[in-house]
Amino acid sequence: MHGNPVKILLSSAVFLMLTAPVFGHGARVVWELQGDSVHISASFDDGQPLSRAQVTVFSGAAPSVPHIVGMTDENGEFSFLPDREESLNWDVQVRSAGHGDMVHLSLTEEPAVESEQGTFSTLQVVLMSACVVLGFVGTALFFASRRKK
Amino acid sequence: MKNMSILLSALLILSIAAVSCGGGEEADPVQQVEQDITEETIRQDTGDLMFTVNGEDFVRSGFVSMDGWHITFRHLYVTITDITAYKSHPPYDPHSGGEIVATMRVELDGVFTVDLAQGDENTEPILIGTLDDVPAGHYNAITWSMIPSTEGPSNGYTIYLDAQAEKGDQSYNVYLGFETGYRYTAGDFVGDVRKGFVNTGVPGELEMTFHFDHIFGDIDQPVDCDLNMMAIGFEPFAALMGEGTVEEDIATLEQKLPRETYARLLEVLTTLGHTGEGHCQCTVIQ
Repeated sequence: MHGNPVKILLSSAVFLMLTAPVFGHGARVVWELQGDSVHISASFDDGQPLSRAQVTVFSGAAPSVPHIVGMTDENGEFSFLPDREESLNWDVQVRSAGHGDMVHLSLTEEPAVESEQGTFSTLQVVLMSACVVLGFVGTALFFASRRKK
Repeated sequence: MKNMSILLSALLILSIAAVSCGGGEEADPVQQVEQDITEETIRQDTGDLMFTVNGEDFVRSGFVSMDGWHITFRHLYVTITDITAYKSHPPYDPHSGGEIVATMRVELDGVFTVDLAQGDENTEPILIGTLDDVPAGHYNAITWSMIPSTEGPSNGYTIYLDAQAEKGDQSYNVYLGFETGYRYTAGDFVGDVRKGFVNTGVPGELEMTFHFDHIFGDIDQPVDCDLNMMAIGFEPFAALMGEGTVEEDIATLEQKLPRETYARLLEVLTTLGHTGEGHCQCTVIQ
C-alpha cells in the first residue's frame, strides 16, 4: 500500500505543475475600502504599476454600460465613490497596452471591514472579540491559580 | 480549576459560533443552481449566445517578433471543443483558480478547427456557433478545450502554424505543429466592451482569444517587458532551419531545442488562451 515517497513527491510535483494557474505575464488588480471609497491598485505580474491605465467601472445595476471611465495614476492607483443605493455590486476593469484584469466588488450597505478577501459580519466580529477577551482572562486566571499553589 | 473549565468551554462554543456564522453566508452551490434555474425557467426570458474565436491582428496582419523577424501567417489552425459558458456566482477569478461555481451553464457541442489567420485588421472575431434561446443574463465565464485535429491540414495537431519568417535576406517557410491538449478556464471578457450579456432580441457573445505574440514576442514592446521576457522569439526556430524550411512538432522540438528554451516554450503555450485580455487558468491535457 505504501508507495515510494520519492515517486509520490515527484508525481505530486508534476501534477501541481500541470494544474497550476499560469500567469507568466499580465495584470493584477486588487481593491480595498478606504472609508466610503473604493481604492484600486493595478500592477503587472512583476509588480510594476499599471501607470496611466484605462479604468472602467461598471455598476451592478447596469453592468454592460460603463459607469465611470478614468485612468490610474503613476502608481497604478485609482479611487471612486460607489453609490451603495444604486448597487452593492461593482466591477472594475483596468487595461494597459494589451494587458488587463477585472475585479468584482461586493459591498455591504454600510462601510465595514471589507476587502477582496471577504467580509466579517458584525456578529462574527463580536464573537471573535469575546474570544480574545476570554483568552486574556483565562491566561490571567491560570497564572493566578498557579501562584495560590 | 472549575473556572478554567468554564472558560475553556465558553471559548470553544464561541469559536464554533464564529466559524458557523461565516459559513452560513455561503450558499451551497448545488442548491443555488437549482434555485436559479427555477427562476430562469419561470421568467422564460431567452436570447441567443454566440461563440467567437479571435487570433487578433497579430496573426491576421503579421508582426515583428522581439528578435526582429517579420512573421506573416498563411494559416494558423487551432482546434477547439468542449465549450461551455457559465453564469458564475461569485464571478470566476482566474487568478484564484478553482472550480467555477455557476447558476447556469450552457454548452456548445462540436469540434471546431479554425484558421485564425484569415482576414485583416478589420476582420471581426470568427463566429463558430450560436446557441439559440438560452436563458437571458450575463454569461461571465467560459471554458474550452484544445485537442488535436483529426482532419485537414492540421491533422494531428492542436495548434498548427503555416507562416513565413523574414529577416534581412533570410526567409523561411515555417511549419510548426503542437500536439499537446489544453483546457482553459476564463472569467469575464476584458476589452473595449463587456461581453456575454444575453437579452431577448439582443444576442450575447463570448470570445475565445489567442495571443500568439506570447511565443515570438513583440518588437514594439520594451525588451524587458514581461511579454518579451517570457517569449522565446523566432531565433531558436531559425536555428533549426533546413533548406529554407522550419518544419517541427513538439517531439522534434524537444530533441532539437536547448532544454531551457523547450521548457519555456511549453510554458508559453499554456498562456495563449484568453478572453479578450482576460487571463485563463490552463490545464495541460495528457
